[in-house]
Amino acid sequence: MTSKQVKRMTAMLSAGIMGTAMIAAPAAVQADDTVTITFSFDQGVGEPTQKIVDAYNESQDKVKVETVILPQDANTVHDDFVNKLASGDTSVDVMGLDVTYIDEFASAGWLADLTDLVDSSVTEGMLTGPVEGATKDGRLVAMPWFTNSSVLFYRQDVIDELGAEVPDTWEGWMELADKAVGVNGVEYGADFQAAQSEALVCNWVEYVWSNGGDILDESGNPVVNSENNIEATTIMKKLVDEYAPEGVTTYTETESEQVFKEGKCLFIRDWSGFWSSGQDEGSKVTGKIAATKLPVGPSGTESHTCLGGLDLVINNNIDDTQKEAAADFISYMASAETQKEMTLISSQPPVVKDVYTDSDILEVIPFYEEFYGIIETGKSRPMSPKYAKLSDAIQRNIHQALTGESEVEKAIEALQNELEELTK
Amino acid sequence: MEKTKSIAGKAAFAVFVIVFVGIIILPFFWQFMTSVKPLSEISAIPAKWIPSSVHGEFYVNVFTKHPFGRYLLNSFIVALTTTVLSILIGASAAYALARLRFKGKKIMLMAILSISMFPTIATLSPIYLLLKNLKLLNTYAGLILPYITFALPLAIWLLTNFFAQLPKGFEEAAAIDGCSRARIFFTIMLPLIKPATFSVALIVFINAWNEYIYALTFMTNDMMRTVPVGIALFPSNYELPWGDMAAATVVVTVPLIILVLIFQKKIIAGLTTGGVKE
Amino acid sequence: MKKAKKGYGSLEKTETRDAWIMMTPAIICLLVVAVYPILRTFWLSLHEMVLTDPGSGYPFIGLKNYGSILTDARAMEAIIFTLKFTVVTVFFELLIGFTAALIMNKGFKAKGLVRAAILIPWAIPTSVSAMMWKFIYNDQYGLFNDILQRLGVIDGYKAWLSTSGGSFMALVITDIWKTAPYMALLILAGLQMVPDEMYEAAKIDGANVFQRFRYVTLPTVKTTVLVALLFRTLDAFRVFDLISVMTGGANGTESISVYAYNNLMKFLDFGYGSSLAVLIFIVVFIISLIYMKLMGDKLTEF
Repeated sequence: MTSKQVKRMTAMLSAGIMGTAMIAAPAAVQADDTVTITFSFDQGVGEPTQKIVDAYNESQDKVKVETVILPQDANTVHDDFVNKLASGDTSVDVMGLDVTYIDEFASAGWLADLTDLVDSSVTEGMLTGPVEGATKDGRLVAMPWFTNSSVLFYRQDVIDELGAEVPDTWEGWMELADKAVGVNGVEYGADFQAAQSEALVCNWVEYVWSNGGDILDESGNPVVNSENNIEATTIMKKLVDEYAPEGVTTYTETESEQVFKEGKCLFIRDWSGFWSSGQDEGSKVTGKIAATKLPVGPSGTESHTCLGGLDLVINNNIDDTQKEAAADFISYMASAETQKEMTLISSQPPVVKDVYTDSDILEVIPFYEEFYGIIETGKSRPMSPKYAKLSDAIQRNIHQALTGESEVEKAIEALQNELEELTK
Repeated sequence: MEKTKSIAGKAAFAVFVIVFVGIIILPFFWQFMTSVKPLSEISAIPAKWIPSSVHGEFYVNVFTKHPFGRYLLNSFIVALTTTVLSILIGASAAYALARLRFKGKKIMLMAILSISMFPTIATLSPIYLLLKNLKLLNTYAGLILPYITFALPLAIWLLTNFFAQLPKGFEEAAAIDGCSRARIFFTIMLPLIKPATFSVALIVFINAWNEYIYALTFMTNDMMRTVPVGIALFPSNYELPWGDMAAATVVVTVPLIILVLIFQKKIIAGLTTGGVKE
Repeated sequence: MKKAKKGYGSLEKTETRDAWIMMTPAIICLLVVAVYPILRTFWLSLHEMVLTDPGSGYPFIGLKNYGSILTDARAMEAIIFTLKFTVVTVFFELLIGFTAALIMNKGFKAKGLVRAAILIPWAIPTSVSAMMWKFIYNDQYGLFNDILQRLGVIDGYKAWLSTSGGSFMALVITDIWKTAPYMALLILAGLQMVPDEMYEAAKIDGANVFQRFRYVTLPTVKTTVLVALLFRTLDAFRVFDLISVMTGGANGTESISVYAYNNLMKFLDFGYGSSLAVLIFIVVFIISLIYMKLMGDKLTEF
């Protein structure tokens, strides 16, 4: 390192310190009756959320929201909340919580009952899936904030080059992939997320649901060991073995997106937000991609995407004044106007139905017209206080089937047994 | 025999050292290259070793997009205090264990060691609770206290070992001269193990500098956060700013290396003047 | 060294008093920060305590959780993997660390630079380096593939983290890269405690380089090496971050700490998770006792 570089670095360093010293200056004095609440969420949607929070703070002077931003890592966020809530902590009032954890947190008694805290009109205009996911034993325990659903992004330029139709079945896509390899730099027919992680669960349940299968039946009993599910898993394995990049069983979102953005894949199954991030500065497929719903399996009738997203929850340990202030804040976050604003700046799919048909939104994201249908047919992963164990069982057994460490039939049978043990 | 090996031997030694060091710093070299690459070349397939042009924008991003200067300051305060206190507390206990006669040394050593026998994750929530009750969350002390505690086992065990290696008789002569225990410890014994202490200090410092999970959990105020947590806050749903992260890695690693280089000279000087004598 | 027995009755008393005074700060840290978490973990491990089931009332169940470990195949597999990982990594780290320490202890130009350079792997925050290595092993744009391909070792990129053999190798290489410098630094500290006069004397006596190593270096650094090994073993056996970032425990790479973490933080089974944490504690404790035996009484009797 040259001395010039050192000097430059020192200059930047001191500039950084001085800059922060200014940020650290005391905030303006608040009115006495202002209730201050703390809102913790992850960096995944950090910037847009901060903007919305700032707007809320400006709009009224009863409640002041301070933010604690956590790293964008589902485990880190979950563990941080668990540590605080399990120790009866009150330093956090409102949390942005992944939908899969709602049942777990509610069962532990950590979530405030929102049924009487917020006006029932707030959830009226919302998509039914997210609201059901926020309800436990008939009580609203979380406020849907935004949803998430996967779609199939494909290379329009390759389709055009081949003069092909966009398939809607897995067989169709495999046939097309056979022809597409070698066209416009495409090396792989398929791309998705199959690392042993929650992403694998999302991917796998989509094959299952779109092939007429399921994980648990209506009364919560495991129904994994079925012809439909074996067939669905076999299709997934065939894609891993013959169409996807060799490392697909090590891919989560980041790795799979990287290969697609390099222009090497015919399609990628990914969350809808990839529409914009997949066509950013470093991407080689900008302007060449289109999106459609996930393919249907041979024994299925309709494709179902796996719904994700975040809910807003209130810490059950805080006192009533804090709870009321928090309820006011989350009602604001869930209102149609805020949802529209959030969608515009974050491109996260909203939970309020009307936003999808809003003309301002459609102008910016025309893709939402079709997308609404996809979200409506989307399904949620099983709701259970033991979801973490259930997910873990799926991850291990299905990953073994995909890497060939275990045969598909055997893995499915093992999974069935584990789930039966769990739900006993 | 000593002379025949000269040139060939030296050359072989040099080649070995270069290859060895090369392998070790290769990933860092790669990080550095990434930090000065243009955005489009960062994830090029196949990997691009030498950037087509050099850019400094990632370094600017590190300091303008985040309060990174503040993170550095926090890390520095915490790591430095942890190091100084751990060495003082550790050396003092080590001296007692190595050179003073009392019963229960083995139990003491095992008790100290047992601190580093639990998986970190199991200690997280009880310590959080503890710091909360002591009102130490979001304070430097709240982070320094656990850091010292978890640095103590290594510091005490190693320093005990080093003190034990010093020849007997130092203290007795000094004691007869009327020196107090504290004076013997600070002016005679501590300087004698300086080179070894330096290594321990370095390890303690780097451990504290890099610690992630406690820093994340105990410091929720952005202004109190440390560097590893700061870097973990870079990625969002919209981007994985690998260039920024590479630049940040260089920014946090290079000062450590410079520190080591500076201190080494001092230590080597210390070795020749106050080294161990039989 | 022999015990000094010169009948300093009162001196011994003041020594005992001084010893406790000098250990007080360390003991306070221990009591304040460490004792509570350890006792709490033991206590929780004797309860049935799944946080998502507060209705159970978290009853005391004695040693039942420990009984469950014995019949838990996954826990057993995790322990076996962890032992394998520990033995392999610590062995190579000792080998490489010792070599590096000997090099750094030699007088040659640029040795200061080498010493500093060797610390780099250890100085990069783990959160970054684990991610960096995951990129390095990537099947599409990873450096590892690029280098091996250029060297002609492989023909075509491989997905190293998708098989159990590849994952194990990748984890071992990364861990060695990261912690061999730590080993080197500790051993170097030990080497610096060897007085130059001892080498000089051995040289005059006609000892060659290997004899000097065998009879001068080794005996003096033995305890330091054992202490370094002990701490590396304790850390390697508790390996967590590296695995959770690189493989997430896939392909048979679930370490016992990862499994304990899953039970504690993912499944929120604080009872069973705590008993696994205690199990780790017990295994590590046994390992420590073995090391203590190997060290003889060097550390505790003077």
